[in-house]
Amino acid sequence: MPVSTATAWGQLPDGTPLHRWTLRNARGGQVEISDLGATLLSWQSPDRHGRLGEVVLGHPTAQHYLDSNAYMGAVVGRWANRIRGGRFRLDGIDYKVDRNDGGNHLHGGHDGFHRHRWDADTNGDDLVLRLVSPEGDGGFPGEVRVDLRVRLEDDGTLDLRYEATSDAPTPLSLTAHPYFNLNDRRPDIRDHVIRIDADEFLAIDAGAIPVGRQHVAGTAFDFREPAPIGSRLHWPDPQLRLVGGFDHCYVPRGPAGTLRTVAVVTEPSSGRRLTIDTDRPGLQFYSGQKLTGQTSRHGDTYGPFAGFALEAQAFPDQVNGPDADGAILRPGVVWRQHTRYRVDTP
Amino acid sequence: MKPHRIALLFNANKVYDRQVIAGIGHYLNSTRVEWDLFMEEDFRTRMRDIQQFRGDGIIADFDDPEAPEALRDLHIPVVAVGGSYHDPSAYPVGIPYIATDNARLVRLAYDHLIEQGLGRFAFYGIPPHPGSRWAQEREHAFRAIVAEEAVDAVVYDGASTSAGGWGEAVEALVAWLDALPKPIGIVAATDARARQLLQACVIGDFAVPEQIAIVGIDNDPMAQLLTRIPLTSVIQGAEEMGRTAAHLLHQMLRGVDCSTTRVLVPPVGMNVQVSSRYQPMRSPHVMRASHYIRQYGCLGIKTEQVADYVGVSRTVLEEHFKRELKQTVHQVILKHKLDTACDLIANTDTPLADVALRCGFTSLQYMYAVFRREYDCTPRQYLDLHRKAAAT
Repeated sequence: MPVSTATAWGQLPDGTPLHRWTLRNARGGQVEISDLGATLLSWQSPDRHGRLGEVVLGHPTAQHYLDSNAYMGAVVGRWANRIRGGRFRLDGIDYKVDRNDGGNHLHGGHDGFHRHRWDADTNGDDLVLRLVSPEGDGGFPGEVRVDLRVRLEDDGTLDLRYEATSDAPTPLSLTAHPYFNLNDRRPDIRDHVIRIDADEFLAIDAGAIPVGRQHVAGTAFDFREPAPIGSRLHWPDPQLRLVGGFDHCYVPRGPAGTLRTVAVVTEPSSGRRLTIDTDRPGLQFYSGQKLTGQTSRHGDTYGPFAGFALEAQAFPDQVNGPDADGAILRPGVVWRQHTRYRVDTP
Repeated sequence: MKPHRIALLFNANKVYDRQVIAGIGHYLNSTRVEWDLFMEEDFRTRMRDIQQFRGDGIIADFDDPEAPEALRDLHIPVVAVGGSYHDPSAYPVGIPYIATDNARLVRLAYDHLIEQGLGRFAFYGIPPHPGSRWAQEREHAFRAIVAEEAVDAVVYDGASTSAGGWGEAVEALVAWLDALPKPIGIVAATDARARQLLQACVIGDFAVPEQIAIVGIDNDPMAQLLTRIPLTSVIQGAEEMGRTAAHLLHQMLRGVDCSTTRVLVPPVGMNVQVSSRYQPMRSPHVMRASHYIRQYGCLGIKTEQVADYVGVSRTVLEEHFKRELKQTVHQVILKHKLDTACDLIANTDTPLADVALRCGFTSLQYMYAVFRREYDCTPRQYLDLHRKAAAT
């Protein structure tokens, strides 16, 4: 169904007005998206009885989004996830980017894409969001132009197609960062049952920077068969203890560059199911252990494990790894990403 | 290196134990860990013989009250599997314990009944017995929920199941159901107990789910086979319990200390069927008729027989159906047959000719004609689209 017209929704500190749009489908589902950070503010989806309920976490006002450090629902960039020490070398030049996570770079830095106001336009069923990230944004080289087309399909799929170009070589990895909770009656996702179609994940150090690939077999990270998130948190695994839960990047099966299903999450009480398809090489699974204290949509505060995030992206710190070049966008090339989140009831 | 000799102390004739063992098998296959598994020929291992076991480790069903005593003096790693306890001191000391989370199982069943719009609840349990402490834990969980939510609720343990006392037990159960205010939602401690409830509802002529909605625990295919009205049931995370137990024993065999590890596994799903699909209806005639159609709709019944059962004329019954459901009695019977057929096609490997027969279609050709008219496809096309891989 056609995207709604814009509704006023708060303002930036300099007074620039912000807006939100509503996308609806034929089955009663609806999604709200803001031009602040291309943020997914709300997603209402039917449960097994056809009753609508909220499936993503959110803050109450635009100001809360501006003040928050949770990247709640936003599209993050220019570099989703971490870069060790905020440093990388590209074409013989050393770059230093924002260090906003201990000594590391995270999610585009202090004023990443999530704090930018995007230009938004409707085109029939599509909401089209555009951002120009200037040379030096967060410390990154080159001016980057991003186009994001969002559509809510009748089967409950939120389809995200990204395109980006740059006038100078730059690392680029974008991801949507919604926190899901498929059961709005219980503010805890530990009873959700997750399947991740990956044979390997990236083991991390204490700063959450990957140190190497590890096979999932025989570890708490093996979700090739569906398993409840909560009980896995009690497996005696040093990788879980490092970050108090899951905050690790998986290497989904199948070639990057081709759309494939990478994860399915079900929630027994509501009967809802989330399926993620993406063409990205990596899938970060974050179990939401540090959401404590974030202001909820209703004005109270979220606790730990209030939501989980599944972020389709490049590998963390890939710019300092063996496949650094695979994470670089060069002039004259159009960078594309296709990711689909579907919420339905099986 | 010689493979480790591991004993699995379970009663693999029960579906829950089988799933735990399947989980252990999945773990071994995924890791290529070689264990020489010891189980007796009838898939049971007697606790009293286990002292003679000369092996490297044990995974045991600690719902068996003999287990803690029998395994106490074995100086090899033991992983316990069983039900969760609300009282932490009820767990065995010094060994890892993998539990099905009884409180979460009951909460899921209860929340489901709330979602159906019900306001009154009951629990059908099992009389206290050392071998079924898990049932007392589920009862305790139910009492805790209704106390916390200040909801009126009734708990009934009934009688132990025995061949001799069966007749009286059923009578007592029917009397209990009769005395309950209705509509009401009942959580049964297991599917076996839920099945007895369904039977008592047939005997006592209570409409399921309009008067009494029922949720069981186990998702036991055997219970499904033996009930006319498909049973809603909570699915335990038994396979995940098996994977977890195998992982912990694997770690212990490498020297890792897991003696204080306790993992509670929540339910992994719910099989929602007719027994809980409570939809308030105004007309008692429609309610009774729907109940009859759900039980006998696939046995070739006609509007006449439904009206006889309800005790009104065909015309009166049709009027009530038209007002409340905007459908004729015949249409509702046909819809029941089609729903049942679709379910059989999608979820079993029953041949189409048998599906037609079991759903009360007079011939396979007639079922084809109805499918074409109602769904604009043939049963074969429906099968190609919907049949899932054989259930595991």
